[in-house]
Amino acid sequence: MTRKNRLAAAIAIAAGTALLATGCSSGSSADSGDGKVTMTFWHNSTTGPGKAYWASTVKAFEKENPNVTIKIQAIQNEDLDGKLQTALNSGDGPDVFLQRGGGKLQAMINAGQLLDIKDSISADAKKSISAGTFSGYDAKSGTYAMPVAVLPEGIWYSKDLFQKAGIEGTPTTMDELNADIAELKTAGVDPVAVGAKDAWPAAHWYYNFALRECSEKTLTGAASSLKFDNACWTKAGQQLEDFNATKPFNQGFLTTAAQQGAGSSAGLLANHKAAMELMGAWDPGVISSLTPDAKPLPDLGWFPFPTISGGKGDPKSMMGGVDGYSCTAKAPKKACTDFLNFIVQKDNQEGYYKAFQAIPVNQDAQSVVAEPYLKSALAAYKEAPFVSQYLDTLYGQNVGNALNTSVVDVLAGKGTAKGIVSATNQAAAKG
Amino acid sequence: MTTDTSLGTNPVTGSDRAAGSTQAGRGATSAPRPAGRRPAKRKIADWRKRAEIAVLAGPAVIVFVTFVILPVAMAAYYGFFKWQGYGPPTDFVGLQNYVIIFQDQAFRSVLMHNGFIVVLSLVLQGPIAIVLALLLNQKMHGRGLIRVLVFVPYVISEVIVGTGWSLLLQSNGAVNDLLQSIGLGGLRADWLSNPDIAIWTLLVIISWKYIGFAVILFLAGLQSIPEELFEAAAIDGAGYWQIQRRITLPLLGPTIRIWAFLSIIGSLQLFDLVYIIWGQYIASTAGTSTMATYMVGNGRNSGNYGFGSAVAVVMFVISLAVALIYQRFVLRRDTAGALTERKN
Repeated sequence: MTRKNRLAAAIAIAAGTALLATGCSSGSSADSGDGKVTMTFWHNSTTGPGKAYWASTVKAFEKENPNVTIKIQAIQNEDLDGKLQTALNSGDGPDVFLQRGGGKLQAMINAGQLLDIKDSISADAKKSISAGTFSGYDAKSGTYAMPVAVLPEGIWYSKDLFQKAGIEGTPTTMDELNADIAELKTAGVDPVAVGAKDAWPAAHWYYNFALRECSEKTLTGAASSLKFDNACWTKAGQQLEDFNATKPFNQGFLTTAAQQGAGSSAGLLANHKAAMELMGAWDPGVISSLTPDAKPLPDLGWFPFPTISGGKGDPKSMMGGVDGYSCTAKAPKKACTDFLNFIVQKDNQEGYYKAFQAIPVNQDAQSVVAEPYLKSALAAYKEAPFVSQYLDTLYGQNVGNALNTSVVDVLAGKGTAKGIVSATNQAAAKG
Repeated sequence: MTTDTSLGTNPVTGSDRAAGSTQAGRGATSAPRPAGRRPAKRKIADWRKRAEIAVLAGPAVIVFVTFVILPVAMAAYYGFFKWQGYGPPTDFVGLQNYVIIFQDQAFRSVLMHNGFIVVLSLVLQGPIAIVLALLLNQKMHGRGLIRVLVFVPYVISEVIVGTGWSLLLQSNGAVNDLLQSIGLGGLRADWLSNPDIAIWTLLVIISWKYIGFAVILFLAGLQSIPEELFEAAAIDGAGYWQIQRRITLPLLGPTIRIWAFLSIIGSLQLFDLVYIIWGQYIASTAGTSTMATYMVGNGRNSGNYGFGSAVAVVMFVISLAVALIYQRFVLRRDTAGALTERKN
């Protein structure tokens, strides 16, 4: 009896140890001594052409570098950040991964989790990518990610609905935009769709008002000080209140999502239920997946965010994000930076554009962009003296989240311009 | 006391049994054994007993400590730091997180929402559930079917309930369409996105979802009331309502009190329905945020793992305090003897 128990216990312990051992042995990068290197790669394209693009790009890279094997893991976008954080903290993270930038990037740099790629960026990449595009990934200690796409923001609109309402051309000032909104209402069209349920799409209106009201120095300076006491922040909130008072948004916008289904803001635009949406340059891809025939919206157009009277911001400045990829500190430096240099080569960037409908960072590859709306977005982007990162990314998750929700409060009539500033200042204390 | 001999109570080994039976009289097992008798064997027996306890209780204790006690302790620890979740926490801030929580207007309003839901859930669900239970306790056709139907919402997962209701209650959803088509267009409303209405909408959904649970509990309670009492009361000339008031309700008391306890704790911890219907961000705007959504919004979604842990601790303490107070003052008579020493 006793002996049997002991035997059972021994087996149980052995099995447990084995489980633990195998559980912990899934470490990713392995240099097996003969120069062969294995890396893991996390991105967020779980379906369609994006997923296929990464698979074929990795295959092409492995062919050029027979000593390197890359294991791809595509992770659902909303799950990516949480998994990444856990994995990085447990030392079990990927070698290459999609970098969101901004405050999250800063937190990873502070924790020593990223590889400085500054000296490894190829001459080709330096030549074909503008220095400004890199700036979001620069820190005092180095450069921590390779940009692959630029996503400038503006207003996406349906040309057919504008025509139906008798609007010619596109608005360039807020007054013109307000006039167009009035005309669209008269024509019985919801003027502007906004996915306030996700908070950030609503907050983008505030970002753009802040971009017009505040100077470049104020916007970027707040990223490190996290203090929002400049008067321009309140003025931007006032602009938002005034705009909201004209009731430009779709009915029930507070519970409208940004991207899921026909009832989302992108879906409303895709189905001609609303005329406009303020969004980054990923929007064409989202919209085309939500049209009735799942094809790109034929009458989609783009114009930059209108100018306001007064304000310290340059009227040609833009909001815009950059998508990029980072190597983790434990990644094999040579292989990993080689891969980053590889993905920004001209043909791979052209492939990226085709797969994602997004503007590539490589200036030689930008010539293949054909859609008129992407072309005008790209032209405006090139002309912009200052492209600000989206403020929630720029100011980090904590302040960014508070900023976003306080903007929603204003749109719902529960908050004020001052409330945005105080909520943002208060959030800074929590992190 | 049992009338047993010591025989069955210590079935360890044959020789022990023999030893026990030599001690005459009742309750012999509780008497100390003569010291020095076969010490080696006894030591083995003791060791075996301990091993048995360790083997049987060990896994449960390990799981409980690992997944309940340890996380609570770790949350308490993290609550003293400003921590973004990257690397180990280093920025010790003492009680500052707690100070911020109690100064935060948003936290005060989630406390109000939670309190509102606690009270209104009891007030709305209690009476309706008692009436339904009394009704379903009558002998009538289709009783089984109605009982099942009343219980169905409770069985459906929160995610499905949340998704379903949020689709129905959208501004262009089925509920507003229905109101329009039956000529009540004036009653159309933004059920979810109007901050003045949203929390009432939430209450209706909660009541709809959890009332079946209360009804089932009360029905079970009603079954345990002896039939004779009703007969005796009827013979003495008591009417139907008098019987319910004087006999049913008092005897249903323990069931009502335990249901109220479950309802209060559930209301304090309410998260899933709100999170599904209003999403990650707008619950506070719509006026339906709870302590749990505040914790997730300001903790995990904002990357403030230290602050979020502090909120978790506050929530834990509030729930614990409410539970203990309720146990002490309300549940005491029901649980006397079960959780506490019985007093004669």
